Amino acid sequence: MIDRLTRQITFFAPAAVMSAWGTVMLHTIASGHINRILSPTLRSYVLVAAVLLLVLSALHLFLYDPASDPTPSASGRWRHLIRWLVLLLPVVAASILSPSALSSTTLANRALDSTTGAIPMASMGAANNQNVQAALSADPNQPVPVEVTDLITLSQSPEQMKAFAGRKVRTVGLISNQDGSSKLVRWIMWCCAADAQPSSVALDNDISSGTKDGTQWVEVTGTAQFPSTLGHVVPKIEVDTIKPTQEPDEPYLSP
Amino acid sequence: MFFAAFDLPTASPSAGLSWPDVALSFFAIVLEGTPFLLLGAIVSGLVDVFLPAGLIKDWLPRSKIHGMFTALGTGVILPLCECGALPIVQRLIRKGVPPSVAATYMLAAPALNPLAMFSTFLAFRNQDPWLMVVLRFAFSLVVLVFLGLWMVRLRPDQMLRAETLVGLTKKNQELSPNPDLIQIPRPGWSLGGLQQFTGAVIRDFTGVLLFLVIGAAVAALFSTGFNRNLLAPIGQNLILGPLAGILLAQLLCLCSSTDAFIIAAFAPFSVSAKIAFLVAGPLIDLKLYWLYRSAFPARFVHGLWIRALAATFLLTLLYAFRS
Repeated sequence: MIDRLTRQITFFAPAAVMSAWGTVMLHTIASGHINRILSPTLRSYVLVAAVLLLVLSALHLFLYDPASDPTPSASGRWRHLIRWLVLLLPVVAASILSPSALSSTTLANRALDSTTGAIPMASMGAANNQNVQAALSADPNQPVPVEVTDLITLSQSPEQMKAFAGRKVRTVGLISNQDGSSKLVRWIMWCCAADAQPSSVALDNDISSGTKDGTQWVEVTGTAQFPSTLGHVVPKIEVDTIKPTQEPDEPYLSP
Repeated sequence: MFFAAFDLPTASPSAGLSWPDVALSFFAIVLEGTPFLLLGAIVSGLVDVFLPAGLIKDWLPRSKIHGMFTALGTGVILPLCECGALPIVQRLIRKGVPPSVAATYMLAAPALNPLAMFSTFLAFRNQDPWLMVVLRFAFSLVVLVFLGLWMVRLRPDQMLRAETLVGLTKKNQELSPNPDLIQIPRPGWSLGGLQQFTGAVIRDFTGVLLFLVIGAAVAALFSTGFNRNLLAPIGQNLILGPLAGILLAQLLCLCSSTDAFIIAAFAPFSVSAKIAFLVAGPLIDLKLYWLYRSAFPARFVHGLWIRALAATFLLTLLYAFRS
């Protein structure tokens, strides 16, 4: 009886695990959750892998050769079962439990202390430079749509900073309140959410109505300022309006 | 010129851990690695069905040391990420490639990867990029030669898990890493061939996937919960700086094409600390430790871990004292 059950598990488990992974991947893509997890280039690889895993599951069911897979010994049965459960349960659980955005707790862990000086990130050059040029040449009477990283870019160039200080801006980000100060945060992702790094600008007052966990998307309009503390410029927005908004299609900024 | 900075002035060292974020990071790491692992398993399946073992043996230099240097060169011209390399490396060992040569390639492919060097250049574009690229490549090469020379002296049974060594070889002697291989006709294009291919792909994929899941869980825990600012106070220290770089690489478990961007922004680290991070990370970290365990026994992986980190530390320490 137990032997038969073990043989059944040996037969069905690979197909079950691979179809579960394929289904989780396809669901993550179809629901758009993949945008919160992987950079655009890697998403198509996941789609191809998901389809291949489903094909492999079907091939396994049709072509399985019991002779190629020795039945585990009595002592190895539990290990065998646990192995398949480890392959099955964590990925399904993670797909259900993974939140829509990284929280303020991880923000504090992954952020770097700006008092030690900001280091230029050269790889992110061209696109952002265009944004900055567009922002500088936009109609000064209208709020300019900018990204958080555009303001940081501007803060690194004294001339551009001077030209832009006092301009009305409109930007979106995650609101984070820590230690009595508020920030507008955007995460920058290279490959996946595990390597995402926060980038932030200060807001001029504590937005106590915002959520504390850093997962609320807001649209902020206000005036861009570039105050200097001990020679280090931290871009700041003097807030006119702040309102909850939809998560952008691409929640992370890419290099 | 574009500049971005990662700043958050009020990050407190006692930030804690967010379990949902660990789930998100874990999910991200496994989704990122799975397509490459599957690609590696498919290549491994094709090698199993179509490539006669004798052919690989004919290609390889007769001496293990020459083989080791060939593996280093192959690592530069045939780059593979860690997840994709493991199933192929295991298959090559079963096809008769000496484990030390296969393991050298496994270590060299991510560490000497041209893509990793290019991303290092980009990330450090405003911080002496050529110095960083040259130091990263040269130190990685020295550590890899040191590890390769250690591995060629080991016997296959000291390097391989029991199942890689004998598990699947009882029925089929060709699968043995024993150099005296017996050639058996390949099934090629046939139903039997497809059956063998499917079986091999699924066994290799699920076999390594188990270790990717464990490694990703550990990596997600530390990359999410470890406060990077804790290492900032020692990042400029002559001796502790390289140690901090090595420790950070072990905890963050980044891919070798990404790690330069993260560490380039880490202002509290000295050049030697950053180089230690860039050399040690692609060789071994908490995620790779588990991936390597899919093919190699704990004792060997521990030996590899200690030697890789000690050699990286010594080299970066020498550089720190010289500069």
